[in-house]
Amino acid sequence: MKRKLFSVLMGVTMVASLLVGCGSKTEAVVEETAPAKEEVAADTTTETADTTTEAADTYKVYLITMDQMDQHWVNVDAGCQKAAAELGNVEYKWLAPDVKDDAKQIECINNAVADNADAILLAANGPDAVTAALQEAVDAGVKIIYVDSAAAFEGEVTFATDNEAAGKTAGDEMLKALTAKGVTTGKIGVINVNAATASCVSRETGFRAAFEGSGFELLETQYSEGDAAKSKDIAANYITSECVGIFGANEGSTTGVGNAIQEAGDDVIGVGFDKSDTILSLIKDGYLLATMAQNPDVMGYEGLKAAVAALGGESFGGVVTDTGVSVITKDSL
Amino acid sequence: MESKSKQNMFRKIMSIRGMGQVVTVTVGLLVLIMVFGFLNPTFASSKNVANLLRQIAPIILIGIGQSYVLITGNIDLSIGSVVGMSCMISATLMTKGVNPFVAVIITIACCLVVGLVNGQLVARCKLPPFIATLGTMTIARGIAQIVNNNYNTDSIGDGAKGFRDFFYYGKTLGLYNTIWIAIVLWFAFNFLLSKTRSGRHIYAIGSNLEASKLSGVSVVGTTTKAYIVSAFCAGVVGLIICATSGMGTMDAGNMYEMYAVAASVIGGVSTLGGQGILLGTIIGAAIWGVLQNGLQFAGAPVAIRNIVIGVIVVVSVLLDVIVRNGKFRKKKIR
Repeated sequence: MKRKLFSVLMGVTMVASLLVGCGSKTEAVVEETAPAKEEVAADTTTETADTTTEAADTYKVYLITMDQMDQHWVNVDAGCQKAAAELGNVEYKWLAPDVKDDAKQIECINNAVADNADAILLAANGPDAVTAALQEAVDAGVKIIYVDSAAAFEGEVTFATDNEAAGKTAGDEMLKALTAKGVTTGKIGVINVNAATASCVSRETGFRAAFEGSGFELLETQYSEGDAAKSKDIAANYITSECVGIFGANEGSTTGVGNAIQEAGDDVIGVGFDKSDTILSLIKDGYLLATMAQNPDVMGYEGLKAAVAALGGESFGGVVTDTGVSVITKDSL
Repeated sequence: MESKSKQNMFRKIMSIRGMGQVVTVTVGLLVLIMVFGFLNPTFASSKNVANLLRQIAPIILIGIGQSYVLITGNIDLSIGSVVGMSCMISATLMTKGVNPFVAVIITIACCLVVGLVNGQLVARCKLPPFIATLGTMTIARGIAQIVNNNYNTDSIGDGAKGFRDFFYYGKTLGLYNTIWIAIVLWFAFNFLLSKTRSGRHIYAIGSNLEASKLSGVSVVGTTTKAYIVSAFCAGVVGLIICATSGMGTMDAGNMYEMYAVAASVIGGVSTLGGQGILLGTIIGAAIWGVLQNGLQFAGAPVAIRNIVIGVIVVVSVLLDVIVRNGKFRKKKIR
């Protein structure tokens, strides 16, 4: 009896996790694209009345991101919606797993293909896991465009931040500030998410490259899984061991760095990545020197336009376009 | 004469059930502290000690909760998610302009509901605790995500400065408030567990469920109490994390349930129930925190840290088994 109950429960849990595994934020999308969609619907119905071939010109484009939580993805989505509204002939949807997970992202890709997508804008969770699913998608005639991060599979075009270059910019900003203070030697702490997130690892590589040949000692990287509270502890430890600068590779790490510097009241230079309300207020109050903000809206906007162009027959040849970063400092706020 | 009374005192302390392992791991903790102090003198600086104690405090709190549940012979997997839920609910309320004091009350009330549900599912509905709390774990994480529409919250703002100081940044009598919170709650829950009837019932149902049922112990009530304590502690840790970051993060407390198991088990709480004392949980949490902090000062890569922690969890339990039986136990008899 107990065992039966157990197996039933496990079954229910599994089914439930499958169901929640790949959800789409339809609510938000519907709300914001409602006017655009109505226009599209109106257009197509009138057109189908005239000629049936015109209807085929409405493209179904999916955006598939790593998860739905980060503000970053919301901004990619906003860029896509803007482009979709301008183009008018796109049926656009945003799909994403509930958490960053290769298997769940593959499900999303399969779902999009099953729904007869014409093109997929993908922010690949990892380089290799999704390639087989993408091959199937391409075989089914779907165009693949990468936004934010590419997989090891040829797409039409990629719109992403060159993370290594951005990391180097962050390093240069810190070096400039330290030199301005007259500091030429000392220890610098590095907080990253983990060793597997390619984008953040590239940022760190770029950051470290900026200090090559300088008198600074860059300490062993500490990983915080992007947890702001853990990052705060790590940064506090760095400050105790008399670091002159601390680098955070993503939003959570940067928040932790800012909070630790704020508490210690030391003039440690903190530089980070991404922007959130909390990070911006830490910069405004002078606890963080700068943050590198990506341009996710540009990725979404350009990505969707490129998708439609590719569907119209244009060839991009798999080029990678750097959407750049904006350096946000107290002065630029 | 004096030495004899000292000896008696020592015997008395050692006769407390579970004290053996506590003494063993305390020695281990002291060795660790000496090694790290030797590797990097900054480790023993007053500034780092204050920081270190504050880093240990949340682990002590979730450790207390998990210990309560483990002693009843169950497990609580929902701790980490309740931490996240508490962090998100409190932060969301405060960003919406709710008075921090009210926000804290509402948050803790929500957490207690999770504890109540856990207890009822396990004791009244007789679900295996692993499954019941696996369910509430997912539900609580879902609530953490849904309260602010699946986004991390904005900054809780300057209006919540008092809240942030009370739970994290402020100091009382030279110690960070976070440490005081852990101390006060530890004394309260230790008293509850070791000196009251409810506490003895918790040990009783963990040692022998049938016997305690026959002697009239309310299994449902006692189990629920343990889960409520666990949820309460997790809720407080969520508030501490919210105060630390000044914002709500949905994945706060990820994996904390396992940290709590590690702290409890290193400190001598048996996962089979009926065994262990909260003093051990403090030492277990301290070992965990000292490793996290000390290995960073020693400049060790994170992978090494994970390996060391894993080895210590296994070795400390193994040591206890050897010390108690004088040999490797062939099979655990319940």
